Amino acid sequence: MSGALLSVKGLRKTFDGGLPGARPALDGVDLELAPGDFAVVIGSNGAGKSTLLNSIAGAFGPDAGTITLAGRDITRLPGHQRAGLITRVFQDPMIGTAAAMTIEENLALAERRGQSRRLRLALDRTRRETYRDRLRPLALGLEDRLTTPVALLSGGQRQALSLIMAVMSQPKLLLLDEHTAALDPRTADLVMQATLQVVRDHGLTALMVTHNMRQAIETGNRLVMMDAGRIRLDIGGAEKSALTANDLIEKFRIDNDRMLLGA
Amino acid sequence: MDVLNAFLNLIPVTFAQSLMYSFVVLGIMIPFRLLSFPDLTSEGAFPLGGCVCAALILAGWNPFLATAVAVVAGVLAGMSTALIHLQFRLNSLLAGILVFTALYSVNMRVMGRSNVALFSADSVFLQVSPAILGSVPLQIAFFAVLVAATLLGLRWYLATEAGAALRVTGINPELTPSLGISLWTYTLIGLGLANGLSAFGGALVVQLQGFADIGMGMGLLINGLASLVIGETVVGRNTVTRQLLAPVVGAAIYYQFVSLGLSLGLQPSDLKIVTAIFVLVTLGLPALRRKGGSTGREKLHA
Repeated sequence: MSGALLSVKGLRKTFDGGLPGARPALDGVDLELAPGDFAVVIGSNGAGKSTLLNSIAGAFGPDAGTITLAGRDITRLPGHQRAGLITRVFQDPMIGTAAAMTIEENLALAERRGQSRRLRLALDRTRRETYRDRLRPLALGLEDRLTTPVALLSGGQRQALSLIMAVMSQPKLLLLDEHTAALDPRTADLVMQATLQVVRDHGLTALMVTHNMRQAIETGNRLVMMDAGRIRLDIGGAEKSALTANDLIEKFRIDNDRMLLGA
Repeated sequence: MDVLNAFLNLIPVTFAQSLMYSFVVLGIMIPFRLLSFPDLTSEGAFPLGGCVCAALILAGWNPFLATAVAVVAGVLAGMSTALIHLQFRLNSLLAGILVFTALYSVNMRVMGRSNVALFSADSVFLQVSPAILGSVPLQIAFFAVLVAATLLGLRWYLATEAGAALRVTGINPELTPSLGISLWTYTLIGLGLANGLSAFGGALVVQLQGFADIGMGMGLLINGLASLVIGETVVGRNTVTRQLLAPVVGAAIYYQFVSLGLSLGLQPSDLKIVTAIFVLVTLGLPALRRKGGSTGREKLHA
């Protein structure tokens, strides 16, 4: 598929310096996302989901394979230079925002993502107005608290802010790293709804890691299942829409069995 | 009564002195507080600024130019510490110790001997107005203007897009790459800026007192930390403005205490242990209160 937005080919990564016997975290991953795809990645602990996300974000270089985004090879591009193209919402609400800074300062930092940081005041009236407009749809009242330090916000409010920050700079790809996992169910729902809305509003391509089966079934147009550093299942379209929780558990088990037999 | 009088008479002189040293305390605050990077380089950057300035003035340079070169030398010293930490992943404290140890040799080479006198030489004070050297109120006015201009400049910089990026590297280093901010760039800028300020303080001190000495930086860092802690206790640090004012207010109070101690008969050499104990107590007390609290490293980062 040549029209892919994101193309991951033969990605391999082994930690612990690749000592003999070390299990690869990524063992030849191929994944393509078309523009507008919302892919959900599931898999058990240690399946390689986070490693895949971190590789795409540029947290470390892979041992082998290539990552292409919008036709550009970004495999060796340092993380901070990818930030204009790829943004992410972290699982830990503490990581995604700067606690000691105000809401407006956080948004101002996010707005310049991928551009040079100039010697110009980071905030002015027009920007504050823009930030209020961006925060209003969340309906959390954050638009009236622009000068509040983020440290005073709840985990859910922080994740919502982190989400708005991630789409401030019109990224090509949005990475969601179990971004509702640390929240209570009601807040998690709220953040998930906000996520779907901003992805729709901005026409984003998204890759979401989750442990939540219901989220995996209800969200997105692609479902990717990983195990032992490989993609075991990649379904989309009608098959994905028709998927039920039982199907998923069944596929999960079959897959695990196959792996056991194959080992 | 004599003791009290001696102290009271010294208050204006001490205040003028503390304004000069507040550049150094600012240079200590920036890495410790804004970058969460415990940096010891100022212990070497301060004498470096003094020695470079003294040597250039003795060589016939214009004092303003000599001071500017001294600041540049301080910036380079700070950037060396940053590079050692970033490139070789050395602990920031060790990187600072390496640099200020190396700077001792550099300072000796720059001056050619362990101390030089500048008594009859030119200085920025003579250039602005010869009256300054003889008048403490004029010194206070002169330094106050310099300090105010520096604070306004820093306040403006920290409110810019670049300044916000610098602050976030200290607040949440994990977030910086995903904001597209290079940790390298802003660590270099921050430590360069900080040690440029320390060197500037050194250049001023040398020109006012009329001599430069190889040992003039010794214990400076602890004095600076003590000043910083006092200032933060008085004005707080929960906004950028307060964090910037704390070093100046703290230096003003700390150096009056030093003066009081000397008036009471303390030997200058005894002051170091007094200051060390003071810093230990102020940084250590909160941890003692909530038992099993945070570690010393967190203290420095707090």
